[in-house]
Amino acid sequence: MFPVPIEKNSAKAQIAYKLALPIALFFWLLPLLAIFMTSIRPVSDIATGNVFGIPSSFQLIQNYSEVFAKTEALQYLINTLLIALPTMVLSVGMACLTGYALAIYKFRWALPLFFLFVAGNFVPFQILMLPVVNISVKLEIMNTVPGLVMFHAAFQLGFCTLFMRNFMKALPFELIESARLEGVGEFQIFWHLVLPLVKPAIAALCVLIFTFIWNDFFWATVLIQEDSSLPITVGVRTLNGEFVQQWHLISAASLLAAMPPVIMFFIMQKHFIAGLTLGATKG
Amino acid sequence: MSLRFTKLALGAAMAGLFSGSLLASDLVITFDDLNPDKKAAYEAAVEAFKAANPDINVVANNGDREAHKDTIRNALQNDAPDVITWYPGNRMGPFVDAGLFTDISDLWASDENLSSNFNAIKPTMTRDGKQWGVPYSYYQWGVYYRADIYEKLGLSEPKNWEELLGNCDALKGAGVTPFTIGTQYLWTAAGVFDYLNLRTNGYEVHNDLTAGKIKYTDDRIRATFAKWEEMLDRCSFVSTHATMDWQAAISPFAKGDAAMYVMGNFSVGQYKDAGLTDEQIDFFQFPEITAGVPRAEEAPADAFFIPANAKNVENAKKFLSFIATPQIQGDWNKAIGQLPPNAAAEINADDKFIVEGMATLSTAAGLAQFYDRDAPAAMAKAGMEGFQKFMLDPSALDEILEGLDKVQAEVY
Repeated sequence: MFPVPIEKNSAKAQIAYKLALPIALFFWLLPLLAIFMTSIRPVSDIATGNVFGIPSSFQLIQNYSEVFAKTEALQYLINTLLIALPTMVLSVGMACLTGYALAIYKFRWALPLFFLFVAGNFVPFQILMLPVVNISVKLEIMNTVPGLVMFHAAFQLGFCTLFMRNFMKALPFELIESARLEGVGEFQIFWHLVLPLVKPAIAALCVLIFTFIWNDFFWATVLIQEDSSLPITVGVRTLNGEFVQQWHLISAASLLAAMPPVIMFFIMQKHFIAGLTLGATKG
Repeated sequence: MSLRFTKLALGAAMAGLFSGSLLASDLVITFDDLNPDKKAAYEAAVEAFKAANPDINVVANNGDREAHKDTIRNALQNDAPDVITWYPGNRMGPFVDAGLFTDISDLWASDENLSSNFNAIKPTMTRDGKQWGVPYSYYQWGVYYRADIYEKLGLSEPKNWEELLGNCDALKGAGVTPFTIGTQYLWTAAGVFDYLNLRTNGYEVHNDLTAGKIKYTDDRIRATFAKWEEMLDRCSFVSTHATMDWQAAISPFAKGDAAMYVMGNFSVGQYKDAGLTDEQIDFFQFPEITAGVPRAEEAPADAFFIPANAKNVENAKKFLSFIATPQIQGDWNKAIGQLPPNAAAEINADDKFIVEGMATLSTAAGLAQFYDRDAPAAMAKAGMEGFQKFMLDPSALDEILEGLDKVQAEVY
């Protein structure tokens, strides 16, 4: 069931593994490598068909700074932060509350209510596009960052609740019972007892949600048309002309857009992996 | 607490002050190009308008071009701006017919620029005998060719079909593929079709075809395809055209493997990016096919319209009139490397393609807007698929044309 550590295999298997790993890694990273190579290529290479070969000159700094000069990439990055961070706080914060209620309180509708949250995850959000647009037009939050954040938070809440509820359910219930016997208030239990215990889950969930929202293209395209509040994923598209595609700049901008989640992943790697496995085994 | 209230009250008072004096009248503009150069040119024009009209509070919006195509109908019906961008020709037809655009014939008649310097494009802006919009930019199509290869083989710019075929024979004899094209995204083939049809049958027939008044199996359209077949046969296109987009198709052109390209003027920057110099490339108008047919050109234009639901029509007309001035038309198009529809506007005289394009378009007998703008979207899609199929297999012509007739019957 669990993978055996490679050190315990035979010498032959170890050599084969060490040979195969770099090759597999190379193929795995090939698309990313191609994008990177395109992003440091001069435009003449692309125009003459030298798309996969060695670049005729290396324009790393020039291309990347051109992205910032030609578009409002910095503004787009800030916009993305303004969308991703509040969404993360909102959906994880609410999920802590719903998770606590669904996991700790024993009431008849706890399970059906929980299933409702889970079921929400199975609705493909694309089919909700028109209703969401209609609602946001009626509420006059179309084209605004808070509007986008609200819908993001609502859509992420299902998954977050599933995650937090299962994690809190796994806490020893005796802890809460004994606290109650001691006469600790319900909110105090939540704040001082349960939240510190689920800190790893909160951290993991935050990383996940931040990455999800950062990478969102769909809702940002649908709900935001205003240039000044576009996130970076959609902002990259402004480099596409009606006819001319500046592939070297688009590649550079795409990599720039992909950087923050990657950095976030490396900083929070421990939590990220914990997050992927924690939710899966509990419940 | 009291401090906060003071601030609030102050803010409210300030807002009242602004709405009382400066916001005397509004103008809401919706533009549709976020591409850095296009965006900058638009913003410069808006700034100039603001400076000239300090009493108008201008709200200038800008959005993605493709998204705009989907959202415009909703915008026109529900929350209309005062000025909006759209395409002239048949593409504006549905909105004109639905009464969603304001008739600005009076402006065309009274404005000094619109009444005198927009004659070439006026028919394009006209529907039902009335004018509906003001164009701010267009650009020419034609044949871009490798002047150095032409010179080496002693060829000259063809004036008619026979000369073009003769040039093709000579190029093939020298091992050069006459034409490059990349039909992966289909529309490039429509450029070739448009020109063949405009030169074989003229502007009226072409316009009737894209307006659904003539069938694709019509003998006149068959004659166009016969010319195309001749072109495929004697002026071969690069064989891998269906796998390339238009930018990739520049590669054989830049390497000297292909000598001509039926394209729009936006492609010139790409040739130069590919390392070709002004001396190596040149432009000629698509040669005459049927003698005596007035020379019409492909010149897709972009224009501003006033929605029927606009709230500040007077300001909107002021803006359109401002956009039509030679100064704005010249500055705008110099910035984006295109042509001003105002014949009196200054152009970039250092760019030989712009100079030649201006001469070509301002003397044209008619301006087509390109197949996918002239024909309704569903028809254009089927038509362009048919063109590509024909280029790959000319023997399927009957089947293709009959198929297009069926689509035409459903679409119009």
